[in-house]
Amino acid sequence: MESLADLASPITIGVLLGGLYVVIALGLSLVFGVMKVINVAHGDLVILGSYLAFVASTSWGLDPILSLVVGIPLFFIMGIFIEKFLLHRAFRMSVDAALIVTFGISLIIQNGAQLVWTPLSRGLMTSYTLESLKIGDVYLPLVYLVDFVMAVVVVLAVHQFLKRTYLGQAITAASQDSQTAELMGINPARVYQIAFGIAMALAAIAGVSLALTFPFTPKSGVPFLIIAFGVIILGGLGSMVGTFIGGMIFGLSQTLGGHFWGPTGQLLVPFVMVLVVLTIRPQGLFGR
Amino acid sequence: MQTTVRRYMPLISLGAATVVLAVLPKTGVPQAWLLYLFYFFLFLAAANMWNLLAGYSGLLALCPAAFIGLAGYTMTILTWLDIPFYVGIIAGGAAAALFAAIISPSVFRMKGVYFAIGTLVVPEILRLVFLRWRPVGGELHGGGAGYMVKGMSGVTAEHRYWLALAIGVASIIVIGIILRSKFGLGLAAIRDNDATAASAGIDVFRLKLYSFVIGAFVTGIAGAIFYSHQGYIEPSAGFHIKWLMTALLATVIGGKGIEGGPLVGTIIVVILHFQLARYGELSLLIQGIILVIMMLAAPQGIMGLVRDVRKTGGVRALLRSVSRGRIKARQV
Repeated sequence: MESLADLASPITIGVLLGGLYVVIALGLSLVFGVMKVINVAHGDLVILGSYLAFVASTSWGLDPILSLVVGIPLFFIMGIFIEKFLLHRAFRMSVDAALIVTFGISLIIQNGAQLVWTPLSRGLMTSYTLESLKIGDVYLPLVYLVDFVMAVVVVLAVHQFLKRTYLGQAITAASQDSQTAELMGINPARVYQIAFGIAMALAAIAGVSLALTFPFTPKSGVPFLIIAFGVIILGGLGSMVGTFIGGMIFGLSQTLGGHFWGPTGQLLVPFVMVLVVLTIRPQGLFGR
Repeated sequence: MQTTVRRYMPLISLGAATVVLAVLPKTGVPQAWLLYLFYFFLFLAAANMWNLLAGYSGLLALCPAAFIGLAGYTMTILTWLDIPFYVGIIAGGAAAALFAAIISPSVFRMKGVYFAIGTLVVPEILRLVFLRWRPVGGELHGGGAGYMVKGMSGVTAEHRYWLALAIGVASIIVIGIILRSKFGLGLAAIRDNDATAASAGIDVFRLKLYSFVIGAFVTGIAGAIFYSHQGYIEPSAGFHIKWLMTALLATVIGGKGIEGGPLVGTIIVVILHFQLARYGELSLLIQGIILVIMMLAAPQGIMGLVRDVRKTGGVRALLRSVSRGRIKARQV
């Protein structure tokens, strides 16, 4: 007979893991919400962030979280360039064209990373990687807690940015109705660039989070992209609150699935949930 | 007389090409050529079907890997049950088609990009299912370890070459028939505007379902033939995103929504595939760059470019009209 105490560990780990998924999914959700473009390269951009942290910690001895001081601006600028020179043209043609271009970018990053960093599995070792906290009967790996805290900070920051700043409101306006926004004096082209830049900065943060938690290879982007899609579908495309709750549900169902059905049940449970949600409510639990 | 000849010209040239390609193994050409052609036929079938879905039916289906993996598994598992592999190939196509029919009510509820995401998740779920499921062979086989294809003794590379040729040619004929029928007309109407198509009395769901099932069947058969060549199947490779990549790249390079597009695109993809194979990851890197450049420079693909050149009367006329901005980048 399963007691509640046995479930305490998968439940807490699930929620904390959900935090990591939220950060990964947030950039994807933002780009979709604003530009209606599915950025298939997002998973690989996250892994690129992981490699950046890896280089920073192995070559320069920087703490991965501190390395974000360089990583976030770098990724932001890269995002603006990618949007300006690659995505924007395709985006004007059609949604399919943009999708195919991001698919190409994904291949370029994946295989470029493989050339530069070899296909070996990497991980970030810091002083706190193997630490864990003991609360009651539950052992909490510290990195999971770090992921969760980062997720909460990032979600709150993005939410406040979109709500309170002029730029954030412009992004929200352009995502709701780009033509009307243009009439109000907003330049959608500029807004799209900044939105994509922010999504890339989020990918840098997600990359550090991921690298602290799991080992990664150049090909790790695709499974996490698919997880991020799952999270977004559960929560509803383009909804910030939905993404957060979707991430929690996904993380929870993964650890509980693993608890009851063993390692191969881990991802099967959340993905079946995704398919069920898609069938019943194609716009997601919190989608409009 | 002249018009009749012209009308049947594509059919005659297809027939002639098929005959030439069919006798090729008997003329003693290098084995490597036959291998290139084997891949070409299978990729062509997958690309033609992806073109049917994405180019003509408005279904940006990102799940060819699901059809290929499922058909490959069906064929392989049937060979374990002592059923000949050629029966398994048909059964594989049928299993893929059945699967397409089963998932269609839920995936067709999603429109546009939602459909694309939903179908992208499908192969991943199948991969996870097949990681758990061991239908035959006990604990030592199946799951992550995959299955060997049994009962292939006596089947030569030539046999598989002819099978591949058959499905490649069949995919061209299927597309040709569909596009010249009322069904194809309905599909074109749906792709352009499904609300208008529905109001004109077209059963949108049924037409999409038909093309989804036909696409799954032919793609599945190509996949099953591929695994009869590979001799081994496991979940990660069977449901791998590279299947989507191949079909998508061939279609986009050649020209999406153009009948001859996949044919031209597949030639280029197969050349790239083998010429770049020795460079490993550089190969896919270059394919990625080609895909991006192609999409930005010639969103209509090579055949689209050829069509534009013909329409405007020569390359220089086209360049002139582009610089004057008369031809805008058209909808893909």
